Amino acid sequence: MTKSNYKLTKKDFNQINRRSLFGFQLGWNYERMQGSGYLYTILPQLRKLYGDGTPELKAMMKTHAQFFNTSNFLNTIVTGIDMAIEEEEGIDAQESIAGIKVGLMGPFAAIGDSIFGALLPTIFGALAANMAVSGNPIGAFIWMIVNFAVMFFRWKQLEIAHKEGVSLVTTMQSRLTAITDAATLLGVFMVGALVATMINVRLSWTPMIGDLVVDVQNNVDMIMPRLLPAVIVGAVYWLLGKKNITSTKAIFIVLIVSIALSALGVISK
Amino acid sequence: MAVAWWQIILLTLYAGYQILDELQVYTGLAQPVFAGLVAGLIMGDVTTGLIIGGSMQLTVLGIGTFGGSSKIDANSGTVLATAFSVGIGMNPEQAIAAIAVPVAGLMIQMDILGRFANTFFAHRIDTKIEEMDYKGIERNYLMGALSWSLSRAVPVLLALSLGGSFVNSIVGVLNNQLLWLGNGLAVAGAVLPAVGFAILLRYLPVKKHLPYLILGFVITALLTTVFGNIQVLGGSVAGVVDGFANTFTGMPMLAIALIGFAFAFKEYKRTTEAPKTQHTTNSASEEGEIEDDEI
Repeated sequence: MTKSNYKLTKKDFNQINRRSLFGFQLGWNYERMQGSGYLYTILPQLRKLYGDGTPELKAMMKTHAQFFNTSNFLNTIVTGIDMAIEEEEGIDAQESIAGIKVGLMGPFAAIGDSIFGALLPTIFGALAANMAVSGNPIGAFIWMIVNFAVMFFRWKQLEIAHKEGVSLVTTMQSRLTAITDAATLLGVFMVGALVATMINVRLSWTPMIGDLVVDVQNNVDMIMPRLLPAVIVGAVYWLLGKKNITSTKAIFIVLIVSIALSALGVISK
Repeated sequence: MAVAWWQIILLTLYAGYQILDELQVYTGLAQPVFAGLVAGLIMGDVTTGLIIGGSMQLTVLGIGTFGGSSKIDANSGTVLATAFSVGIGMNPEQAIAAIAVPVAGLMIQMDILGRFANTFFAHRIDTKIEEMDYKGIERNYLMGALSWSLSRAVPVLLALSLGGSFVNSIVGVLNNQLLWLGNGLAVAGAVLPAVGFAILLRYLPVKKHLPYLILGFVITALLTTVFGNIQVLGGSVAGVVDGFANTFTGMPMLAIALIGFAFAFKEYKRTTEAPKTQHTTNSASEEGEIEDDEI
């Protein structure tokens, strides 16, 4: 049993980060998802740790090509923890490495998806879109700057994870819960603001009571401005809660119902 | 021709690039709002691009690629809608409902195909591992970029080069025989962001933060009405009174976001400070429970 004495250098970290940032999901497939991607990002380091042509290298390459799927924003945290263990224990850690990878990918997928997949796009995407529909690209560039800041952290997290090891997960957890909580609050607040500004339709229905023409929109405005958009969002929210309704189906249902209501003269722009 | 050949090439290249960006670097270039901006630049009408891209952005706000599920491809939809809207002169809002959304829906199939194609490369990698062929592993891995890129670029190329006259005749019909449908599509384009908001609300802890949803909505609804009415007033006064040169801007969304940020900041301080005071008495309790105690 040969134990490797190789220690990862700054150059190795940079190489892993480069491969992760520009190629982590190129090989995404239905069978093992990011499996080959995980192997690709650390292949040069595995070769240095175990040596070319050794049976250990082949065994570890196989281990790392197995099913893996996590947030592509946080994947190098798992990589960093994994690399620290493999440096210490080498091939002996084969089973525990496989276990740690499977154990960590779920939680990090959840955290990554909610922060980078939902929250940042809500807050900055909404801002960008809000400015864009009036022909202003500045919001889009603000969002891009935020994405580059995120990239900076993605680049840094590998070394931090490598240094701190598994203990990082617990220290991160409490901080992240607080951040996620505050960020979701902001997200919910922003959705409320967006509902009030971004759905620009009005009731064009004008029923006659005797010889009196009732301007429904005007009456609704006196109760609460922007009530119609709120009702529409509420209806779609309810629709999405139904079984078998995917987001794509919901989009097409809204499309058809809107055309129908417009043709009947109930709503207009 | 409605869309010039060099525009088709540039739009196709962007379509092929954007998916790689979204999967990895995530600069933001692969978001509908940027798809609209880029397509608008190529087509020479940035405003139209931004309107279509911005609306599509809102429609898909809460939709991400979670756990490898395929999502509606708003970028390709935005690219085609912008190209045809500018090239043929279609109303942007009609283009959103008539082109961008259906295309985005159809493109889901191409996403599935691309992910499927990669399974083939994954198996080649297995063989190369057996052979200890390191360069082979990397080569077959990087081939995955092809299946991703082509799954977006090929349909966009085909639609742009073959779809022009088809879209042209549709536009004619929508503005004449089927005017009701044309108007309906424009209304639908305006309603679609509601789906994006509703999906987000399904994803966010609405029940927990319900007061802030109400605050965000009411503050904005009131302010946007006030700002809107002042703009109308200002416009009318300027038309009547000579020398009245005050310009009124619309409601700044960033200001609303800052109000929300203040609430969020307060919440963050509350949740980070709460555990410290509680830890001395009950260190074993979980954070979620402490939060409840505070309330």
